[in-house]
Amino acid sequence: MRHRLLMLTMILFGALLQMVLPTWPLFGGMKPPILAALVLHYSLRRDNREMWLAVFTAALMQDGLELGSFGPALLAFPIIGILANRIRTEVFADGLVSQVIFGAVIGLFFTFITLLIFTASGQRPFSFGLTLLRLLGSFILGMVTLPLVSHSIIRLEGLIPKRRTYGWQ
Amino acid sequence: MYAAAIGLVLIVVFVPLPSLTLKGKGAVRGAMAPAERGASSLWQRASETMAAIRGIGGAVDKNRELSHELVRVQAELNRLRDVESDNLRLQRALDFHQTNPHELIPCDVVSRSISGWWNTVRIGKGSREGVRKNRAVISPDGLIGRTTEVTPLTSEVLLVSDPACRISAKLARASVFGLVRGTGSTLTGEPKARMEFINKDIEINVGDEVVTSGLSSAAGEFPKGVHIGYVEKVYRDNSGLFQYAEIIPRATVGLLDYVFVVAEAVGGGQ
Repeated sequence: MRHRLLMLTMILFGALLQMVLPTWPLFGGMKPPILAALVLHYSLRRDNREMWLAVFTAALMQDGLELGSFGPALLAFPIIGILANRIRTEVFADGLVSQVIFGAVIGLFFTFITLLIFTASGQRPFSFGLTLLRLLGSFILGMVTLPLVSHSIIRLEGLIPKRRTYGWQ
Repeated sequence: MYAAAIGLVLIVVFVPLPSLTLKGKGAVRGAMAPAERGASSLWQRASETMAAIRGIGGAVDKNRELSHELVRVQAELNRLRDVESDNLRLQRALDFHQTNPHELIPCDVVSRSISGWWNTVRIGKGSREGVRKNRAVISPDGLIGRTTEVTPLTSEVLLVSDPACRISAKLARASVFGLVRGTGSTLTGEPKARMEFINKDIEINVGDEVVTSGLSSAAGEFPKGVHIGYVEKVYRDNSGLFQYAEIIPRATVGLLDYVFVVAEAVGGGQ
């Protein structure tokens, strides 16, 4: 229960942090994908039910606080969650190299899905140069964000005292 | 189960239900508004503290012989400078509010876009305080943008530099009309906009002031004569029907913490 509460608090805090962080024009004005990184982190480490809880809370935050239709996160986060949850027993999720690669992939994937929805629905104009810059920016930002987010959560969860257990439990 | 979940998500994404979407967003934004305000003020304080620390560091490097007392005094001075600049800023905003002929709703900026796909800011007042959709948002420096999604507690402001923001404008020195459309920002982060559909027979000069024409809304909510920016570059296409000018909407550079929503414009919408 405490871990679930911490997970929801982290998602709320992640959304706030993502909002106050500045954008970098050199990365196409993209922000670090903190919520996507949180979704991946929890999908790789939690069971199916908690994965869905993380996915929908993060997607509601991301799309609810953004202009335009509900969509990009509501579509991308479940896909990230399902795929990550399926391979969680086959990958070494705590390794820095895996985190850097996964971070880059989710950054790129989420930006691609957002681009697809916004362009298809005519909400954002398509510009090849800016699109390339955004994809590259989110690739780099994802690489940096996931290890930082993952490391911070592991440290925080380590601070929570474990429940005392007995031999027969 | 996965198929059902993804099917549901696809329906939500691709079936447009504006009122339902706005209700959902209103619930999320309403719940997040107090936290956003807190985070925004915390972030601002952290930035101010960092600026003060940088000031102290510089002073220590330059004057190693200065005593701790001097450092303390300098920190105090930095703090007072911040207070003074805050005071001046608020005084300016108050003067602007009092001297402006339009009916204004003062609002604080609570947060910015969460993803960077839109050039928007969120203000801490919504339909409960009388903010309506498509109203001009201004500051003492000029036009900032217009309100788009208004929920009971917050409103989303689409900045002049966003490609989805289109505002009817004219040159201040002559009655030359055009349409100002945002074009994003430069690689240095400076917001850009473009005044389009200007009659190609009219001569435009670099430095010409661009103001709102008051024609942006049929009901007259958009005021006229509000400063948007100055012409930076003029593009003439001899084969085309129109010419266009690049402008920098200065009011959105280093956006203020306080902005004003024009509740009712005086002399707009003609």
